[in-house]
Amino acid sequence: MSDPVSTPALRKLRFHVLRHDPRDATSVPHFQTYEIEEAAGMTLFIALNEIREQIDSSLAFDFVCRAGICGSCGMVINGRPGLACRTLTQDLPADITLAPLPAFELIADLSVNTGKWMRGMSERLETWVHSLQGDPDLRRLEERMDPDLADRIYELDRCVECGCCVAACGTARMREDFVGAVGLNKIARFSLDPRDKRTDNDFYELVGNDDGVFGCMTLLGCQDVCPKDLPLQTQIAFLRRKMARTGLG
Amino acid sequence: MNTVFHVTDRSVPLSAKARSRWPARLDLLQSGTGLALGLFMWGHMFFVATILLGKDAMWAVARFFEGYFFFGRSLYWLVSLIVAIVFALFITHAALALRKFPASYRQYRTYRDHMAGMKHEDTTLWYWQVVTGFALFFMASVHLYIMMTRPERIGPFGSADRMWSDLMWPLYLIMLFAVEFHGGIGLYRLALKWGWFERGDPDATRRKLRAFKWAITAFFLVLGVATLVAYVKIGIEHAPFYGQPYEPAWVTGGHQP
Amino acid sequence: MKVIYTDVLVIGGGLAGLRVAIGARRRGHDAIVLSLVPPKRSHSAAAQGGMQASLGNVIKGQGDNEDVHFEDTVRGSDWGADQQVVRMFVNTAPKAVRELAAWGVPWSRVRQGDRDVIINGQKVTITERNEAHGLVAQRDFGGTKKWRTCYVSDGTGHAMLFAVGDQAIASGIPVHERKEAVALIHDGSRCYGAVVRDLVTGELTAYVAKATAIATGGAGRIYRVTTNAVICEGIGAAIALETGVAALGNMEAVQFHPTGIFPAGILVTEGCRGDGGLLRDANGHRFMPDYEPEKKELASRDVVSRRMEEHIRKGNGAKSRFGEHLWLDITLLGRKHIEHNLREVKEICQYFLGIDPAEKWIAVRPAQHYTMGGIRTFHTGQSRTLKGLFAAGEAACWDMHGFNRLGGNSVAETVVAGMIVGEFIADFCESPEGELDIPMALVREAMQAERAKLDALLNGHGPEQADRIKIEMQQIMTDKVGIFRTGADLEEAVDRLQKLLVRSRNIGLRYKVDGPNPELVTAYRTQKMLKVALCVATGALARTESRGAHFREDYPQRDDSVWLKRTLATWKDPSDTLPSLAYEQLDVMSMELPPGWRGYGAKNYVDHPDTPNRASALASLREKMQGADRHAVQAAVMPYEHLLPERFRGRNERIDEKLP
Ligand SMILES: Cc1cc2nc3c(=O)[nH]c(=O)nc-3n(C[C@H](O)[C@H](O)[C@H](O)COP(=O)(O)OP(=O)(O)OC[C@H]3O[C@@H](n4cnc5c(N)ncnc54)[C@H](O)[C@@H]3O)c2cc1C
Ligand code: HEM
Repeated sequence: MSDPVSTPALRKLRFHVLRHDPRDATSVPHFQTYEIEEAAGMTLFIALNEIREQIDSSLAFDFVCRAGICGSCGMVINGRPGLACRTLTQDLPADITLAPLPAFELIADLSVNTGKWMRGMSERLETWVHSLQGDPDLRRLEERMDPDLADRIYELDRCVECGCCVAACGTARMREDFVGAVGLNKIARFSLDPRDKRTDNDFYELVGNDDGVFGCMTLLGCQDVCPKDLPLQTQIAFLRRKMARTGLG
Repeated sequence: MNTVFHVTDRSVPLSAKARSRWPARLDLLQSGTGLALGLFMWGHMFFVATILLGKDAMWAVARFFEGYFFFGRSLYWLVSLIVAIVFALFITHAALALRKFPASYRQYRTYRDHMAGMKHEDTTLWYWQVVTGFALFFMASVHLYIMMTRPERIGPFGSADRMWSDLMWPLYLIMLFAVEFHGGIGLYRLALKWGWFERGDPDATRRKLRAFKWAITAFFLVLGVATLVAYVKIGIEHAPFYGQPYEPAWVTGGHQP
Repeated sequence: MKVIYTDVLVIGGGLAGLRVAIGARRRGHDAIVLSLVPPKRSHSAAAQGGMQASLGNVIKGQGDNEDVHFEDTVRGSDWGADQQVVRMFVNTAPKAVRELAAWGVPWSRVRQGDRDVIINGQKVTITERNEAHGLVAQRDFGGTKKWRTCYVSDGTGHAMLFAVGDQAIASGIPVHERKEAVALIHDGSRCYGAVVRDLVTGELTAYVAKATAIATGGAGRIYRVTTNAVICEGIGAAIALETGVAALGNMEAVQFHPTGIFPAGILVTEGCRGDGGLLRDANGHRFMPDYEPEKKELASRDVVSRRMEEHIRKGNGAKSRFGEHLWLDITLLGRKHIEHNLREVKEICQYFLGIDPAEKWIAVRPAQHYTMGGIRTFHTGQSRTLKGLFAAGEAACWDMHGFNRLGGNSVAETVVAGMIVGEFIADFCESPEGELDIPMALVREAMQAERAKLDALLNGHGPEQADRIKIEMQQIMTDKVGIFRTGADLEEAVDRLQKLLVRSRNIGLRYKVDGPNPELVTAYRTQKMLKVALCVATGALARTESRGAHFREDYPQRDDSVWLKRTLATWKDPSDTLPSLAYEQLDVMSMELPPGWRGYGAKNYVDHPDTPNRASALASLREKMQGADRHAVQAAVMPYEHLLPERFRGRNERIDEKLP
């Protein structure tokens, strides 16, 4: 077997990081440049931590799982939203521009409040299974589900709410109240789930308007940046057809 | 809606304030008018391009729409009617599409910055769709108004005179590009928006649609420019006889003024 | 002084914390959840493999039940677990899966008919029963007799956390994000809430509550190489420790996962081996059967990890610039299987190693993975020494894992504990004990004390740098308190950690702002983490035996005659540099499963004097009850059902065990 850690030419990397602390009245948004030596297998997680440990202990950013699973580290990397922890520097030019995800409240530097946005979205779209009874008798066999259907629901359930789709969406950037691909995907997910007893009419109440599915202008930024490769384009189109039909009916 | 759902041990009715059905209708209408206009423009392009086959061909097409071959004479109001319908579609479409325009300079700036950063084709294309749509708003209005009010002047010489002697060709040239880009992008987006032709592999569909869109745009631009050149050429030759309509040889018995 | 009042303060928004809050909420108590990060980003999301519950739906799980799950868990724990708690757990786990199914978790389901699986490196066709079609499916996991691990493709933790998180939102439970509990408010016998720092503004707030529950997850980051998220720093355990009253149990019991990708430590799931993946050495040789002929790659984690390190020591490791490692080979599972069932693994390989695991082997080496120890509690989740303080999930030690937890038992524990502890917290709030007489002076004092500590850091000019100290601590833990432990290494570790602790009281910050200041956060957390690390190291040094994940090369025997007891660490005085250790004896005479050989790993132990007595007592009891229903026998051997909250009692239905 070959060495699994590839050996790219090691370069000097220049990180241009957008710095700003909105709570500090004297702070003005500006780019600050940090130079570090590239290492084999270096990800932005490693690089940013190195900058923080060795150059600037005040640099704010968010990482949690650092394994591409939790969705905490969305940021704009050379213009495009992506998960920093699983972006290898070897795939980027030597000049790397990092900015916080737009469309979300800025906390400081690269850290943004996606949590608040997502909670608001969840409350607004009621992103949970709506059942008609309380809990079932937990001692009994669980309700059956077609294995393929379970897989299909999971496909859409894989969203990690990282916010990349919102940041990559021209519509969401212009119109703050747009629910974004993340919200529309949730509705698609719950409308697929037979355990959720809401009808198409109920879903129309939630997304049948220009802040919902009809607001989507099919720019497909979401589809192209989604770190989980969710079928957003297909799902939004599906939802649009369904909601249009519901709206006419 | 008064279904009651259960959350843990509470029961909560779904927020029940029956929404308006209009957003769905307007969305469909926007797409529908866009589709109709887009398809009309393809047809329109073929009709006017008949000039490349000769003046007779174009003359026949023009007469056809005037009902000449059905009624034995030209009913110009028929053309006015068709144009009026298109005009109505156009105004409806524009009014609906206007909702999607950046609503303020701030939104416009945001979009531009976003677009510059993303370097993402579909995002950039939308910007051009808005710009071209906006341009069409004025140019196509002028064009449609003239067509509606002066239908009798549509013909190999009439149209050529308007191009050259009435100095409409610069407008038409810009409008050609605007329409082809706008309509091409619009139809492409329409297909993605409603999930047409997906067949299991949306990525492949999108790639194909995009290639197809560029091919169509290129085709119509070539055809359009050739057509425009043809009219301009006729317009230059015909300038001294400005105003005289074209009569095919088989109508005039070979006599040409 | 800003004070927020609530009935139940839940510190931690992972699976355990959220489920506790929902439990309290549905009983009508207000709950507030605190979390360092948006709750759905908690580390529970990272659990890929699955959740154990003895549903026995798949054919390879047929015959599974609570008894088998119980035995696997106790054996896995190397008899360190509290067997009554294990019983409570195994009986509630199926209910937890079913509750989650109702809440929308898209569990992978059984498909009737034939399918090909890889068992033992061999392709085998198994046939699923028609009557199981559409029920929740199980897969194989290490250390289990039956296929018992329920899963959602390879995103089990994620799907669970999102379902539970959404239920919390549905229940209107506020989650205060980016808030860190930095101290508990208590008077030495009762806990009244916590002092909480806002990680955005730096502001301190007192959260005062009838009951306070710590569900802050593991402490993996006291190690340099760990599969844990960067927020798993054991702060919850530390603030309990800092009360001087609450105890941490069995902190030396630290699990190492066999397959952390090398060198980053990111986990590839046990599901890889469960589904048939193999471990190979530098020569491509599959070495596990040489050491563990029966269970091979699927022996319990502590055993596999140790065998791997042993094999590397023998000179069989593959060499790379970062050190030595072994290979995990899943190429034999086929691309389809990998892309469908192990997609997360594929992504990790692709993004972090730049390889395609359907074609290439994955470089792996054991990495710190799980904290078996934690805040010592009763079976109710309440601290045994500090009233009103509860703990659940990885942060707790109600002790169902003992010295080693089985894969898949942990996310199961989080929800099960959430269910059970949530009920007991509600009971507590409704009892006279739960009534709250808020001693405002105490609250003010606690706030002032924390303010003073932070100000000391912010204004201090000490020479020490926080991140340097932290890295040094992590390196010591990985090098000296790792998989193989010796007295000499551990002594050195304790000594050096103590010095670091003293140095950490002299940290000076380069960046002195009290808002979003990562350096400040590192500084005060490092001080706390060092205490937790010292509990691990001193506990390990004192325990002169090997049990479960705790392996002493100088004492390779499990010694039940001396060490069948739980370590309890407390931090008596803030100026101490060492924890105080005490022990809690386990009672063999009340065990359902007396200590013996685990069925894998070395057969090397000294019996407790009571063991033969208990064994024969049980044998005669069982003989007397021959032919009786298994539940009746169990109840005679070790009654536990009375310990469960009423709501979660009762048998579990299975295809082969219908309920009337
Ligand atoms: C990579 C990986 C894979 C795993 N796979 C499996 C598996 O397949 N099966 C299995 O059973 N187990 C698995 N585990 C173990 C399991 O995921 C965890 O043990 C379990 O999810 C812990 O859940 P928890 O709710 O106790 O804590 P967590 O999910 O870690 O949540 C802790 C919460 O506490 C908050 N918090 C922490 N400190 C503070 C503080 N001071 N103030 C306020 N809030 C705080 C955090 O923000 C977070 O919300 C895996 C673990 C890892 C690392
Ligand atoms: C000949 C004239 C026109 C043709 C053939 C045409 C065609 C189309 C088509 C096919 C679409 C896609 C429909 C959809 O997305 O629902 C579209 C969209 C659009 N059109 Fe037009 N259009 C014309 C004129 C105009 C005018 C005059 C304007 C401007 C006022 C305009 C602005 C827009 C905009 C902004 C969109 C995008 C809407 C969205 O993204 O949702 N169009 N057009």
